[in-house]
Amino acid sequence: MSTAKTPAAAPAKKENFIDVFFAGARKGLGIGFNTIMPAMVMGYVLVQALKVSGIMDVLATVFAPVMGLFGLPGEAFAVLISAFFAKAAGAAAAANLYTAGVITAPQATILLMPCMLMGTLIGHYARIVLVSEANPKLTPIFFAIPLIDSAVGMIIVRIILTAMGLM
Amino acid sequence: MSTEQAMKQKPVVTWKGWLALLIMCCMFSGLFTGFEGALKPLNVLDFNTMVGSFGVDADGVNFQGKNGTGARDGFMFTITLVPGCIFAMGFLEVLTRMGCMEAAQVAFTPILKPILGIPGACGLAFINALNSSDIAAVLTKQLYDDGMITDDERSVFVAYQYAGSAPIGNMIGTQAALLPIINLAMGPMILLIIVCKIFGANLLRIYLKMTKKSRTAKEAK
Repeated sequence: MSTAKTPAAAPAKKENFIDVFFAGARKGLGIGFNTIMPAMVMGYVLVQALKVSGIMDVLATVFAPVMGLFGLPGEAFAVLISAFFAKAAGAAAAANLYTAGVITAPQATILLMPCMLMGTLIGHYARIVLVSEANPKLTPIFFAIPLIDSAVGMIIVRIILTAMGLM
Repeated sequence: MSTEQAMKQKPVVTWKGWLALLIMCCMFSGLFTGFEGALKPLNVLDFNTMVGSFGVDADGVNFQGKNGTGARDGFMFTITLVPGCIFAMGFLEVLTRMGCMEAAQVAFTPILKPILGIPGACGLAFINALNSSDIAAVLTKQLYDDGMITDDERSVFVAYQYAGSAPIGNMIGTQAALLPIINLAMGPMILLIIVCKIFGANLLRIYLKMTKKSRTAKEAK
């Protein structure tokens, strides 16, 4: 066994790699059903609601110029809304738009950036910014940075994909 | 060993740790995919090849079917993602136990000062922040309480952690839906996200540097 153990990870008895793998795999199963499943259902229902209500068409028209900067159709704005609530919901919304033929694979690649970079901002504000007791005066900046990062990330990926000849 | 000691101490890295780090980089980089002929066995080092694919019916559709909508389609889609998630988490646990994180800590600690302007003592928190947001946030608070980083350094570090939190863990755990679709492999995507995180944190770093004089003057009043 490795000699570099963190106190929390130090096993009481010798574990073999199969047990370790099973322990991690069980975590993965939990993540799949407890984290991804609710977010995925939310993402799909949100997209369904936007589609059925006709709001999606409005979003598509209104946000087309902004999203166009990133090489995306206006509908992709729904992905950003979903991502803001949960990273997985953003990914679900993007996957849904891809399956429906609204966005292409390169556009889905671009959308992964905001799904991660500006994902779950409300929930993680408590879990990261508040827990670390960072300077509360900087709160607006802490919120602005992920949005800036997302914009930069989308542009970078767009440039890479264009260079690869995919866009 | 207390957490404080763990943060100051340079971790012991065994050859297994370096091997684990190397394997992790290979698996998630996407470099070992699509080999043919004599090099075909190398595909074993590719994450997506190991996750494999579902069987399809005559129309080339898997059990999820076509044209589903709403919650039901979301449910079926999630089922298709769970195997990759189970495998990735189990595999990551083995690599972690082999000492992958300690190796990463030794490898990354020296670059923290130039890229984020924070001391090497943040290495443990930095590495933890790749995989989980909660442990890193607690460690960051502790670093400040122990006087190892200033308030400004903490702000920059928190800005780094907050955007795209836990890039490796969340890429596997939350972006599973997009991974089979996207044009780039998981490794390069994670790298790009980290680059953007560092970029954003440096915006705050510059802002804090520029306003430092006026802020100290204000506090002095």
